[in-house]
Amino acid sequence: MEHYNMNLTLKVWRQKNKNDQGRFETLQAKNISSEMSFLEMFDVVNEELINDGKEPVAFDHDCREGICGMCSMHINGRAHGPWDGTTTCQLHMRAFKDGDTITVEPWRAGAFPVVKDLTVDRSAFDRIIEAGGYISVNTGNAQDANCLPVDKTNADLAFAAAACIGCGACVAACKNSSAMLFVSAKVSQLALLPQGHPEKQSRALNMVAQMDKEGFGSCTNTGACEAECPKEISLTNIARLNREFIGAGFSSEK
Amino acid sequence: MKWSQFFNTSIGKKLLVGATGLFLCSFVIVHLAGNFQLLYNDEGKAFNAYAAFMGHNSLIQFIAWGLKIVILLHAFIALQLTFSNRAARPVKYAVNPGNQTSSWFSRQMAIMGSILLIFIVIHLANFWGKFHYTEMPTRTYEGSIEPLKDLYALSYETFKNAWLVALYVIGMIGLSFHLIHGFKSACQTFGLNHKKYNGLLSFIGVWVFGIAIPVGFAIIPVVIYFK
Repeated sequence: MEHYNMNLTLKVWRQKNKNDQGRFETLQAKNISSEMSFLEMFDVVNEELINDGKEPVAFDHDCREGICGMCSMHINGRAHGPWDGTTTCQLHMRAFKDGDTITVEPWRAGAFPVVKDLTVDRSAFDRIIEAGGYISVNTGNAQDANCLPVDKTNADLAFAAAACIGCGACVAACKNSSAMLFVSAKVSQLALLPQGHPEKQSRALNMVAQMDKEGFGSCTNTGACEAECPKEISLTNIARLNREFIGAGFSSEK
Repeated sequence: MKWSQFFNTSIGKKLLVGATGLFLCSFVIVHLAGNFQLLYNDEGKAFNAYAAFMGHNSLIQFIAWGLKIVILLHAFIALQLTFSNRAARPVKYAVNPGNQTSSWFSRQMAIMGSILLIFIVIHLANFWGKFHYTEMPTRTYEGSIEPLKDLYALSYETFKNAWLVALYVIGMIGLSFHLIHGFKSACQTFGLNHKKYNGLLSFIGVWVFGIAIPVGFAIIPVVIYFK
């Protein structure tokens, strides 16, 4: 692919802290290489802001190789930008052309309050995991792997669900700010495996209860989450979560 | 989890909306089949006999009142969910993805449902209210035991009004757009999402409930208007 440089206009959300009202600020990104990632473009912009004695734009990032789930920008109306199955750090500037105006917003959800600029607090996801997204294992040696037969199909489905990096794009993309795709992936990865069975009922009930408590919306099956998920988590997981929840709700003794 | 807690969770409420929605889907099939008798060229003999049966059979009347409660329950819970879903995003996006990530129909459920609810109220006032609570002209057919309330004639009179015909067509467009997403969405809420059945469910949702049934309903006032 041919390399080119471009000048861009950025409309970036600036917000001092969670109590600040926030507003859009227009910034110029000059001489940006098409081979940079979107975050590298922001690094260049921030360097310039720092040189000018201004406050750089705060944004989340960590591994920058698409597996940690930290980056979280809503770019031109799309979670993680215009490419499918891609995190913001893996979005490259060749997705844009010279002279483009790009609007960058933080994830918008009551359950994800803005910390600063484009950084949001996603600890609501941690609390959902704490409510049941685990298996209880006694200490001691791990038993022989072959003691627990696992069907290959289910192993693959569990692995696909476990690809969820908890970035929150599903919440950001959903018109209801629903966390169902996230919760369904975390319930599915365990429900599909024998290790997850002993706690399957309490897991489904507790994680959904925590999800509601955090103030996420409910799912209206629009499919926007699946379309935006950088790990391409499937809506079939939400159906599985519904089955798990219905089964637990109807048969759990508690 | 107690039942009261279960049906107060987001999924629990959605199950109620889905279950009532699927019940209403089954109702529209029966209602349409009955309505087609309006197009018979028998001066209303079959339709009026059918209306008299539906209006007096106690089991049917029990279901009919249940139906009204189900409609209100469906609308009430769905609106409650809609408002809490809107509240879940206090600060809106400046740029929205539009149809890039989800279908237009899937995002208009509350609007289409509200159009339908208004339509249902008007529709009940036009026919059900008059049939049950007013003195209606009756008609005696050859072979029938007693005079029948002439709901057939009332339908023909009502649909001579072009505005009402237009309103009924708009109501059915609302039904169409509501069910194109609604049927399959209810299935997903009940956990029914399976490679082997998804094609069939999409077909039923879009072509049967989304297109065939609303078109069938809408044809009746249009045909009567031009008759």
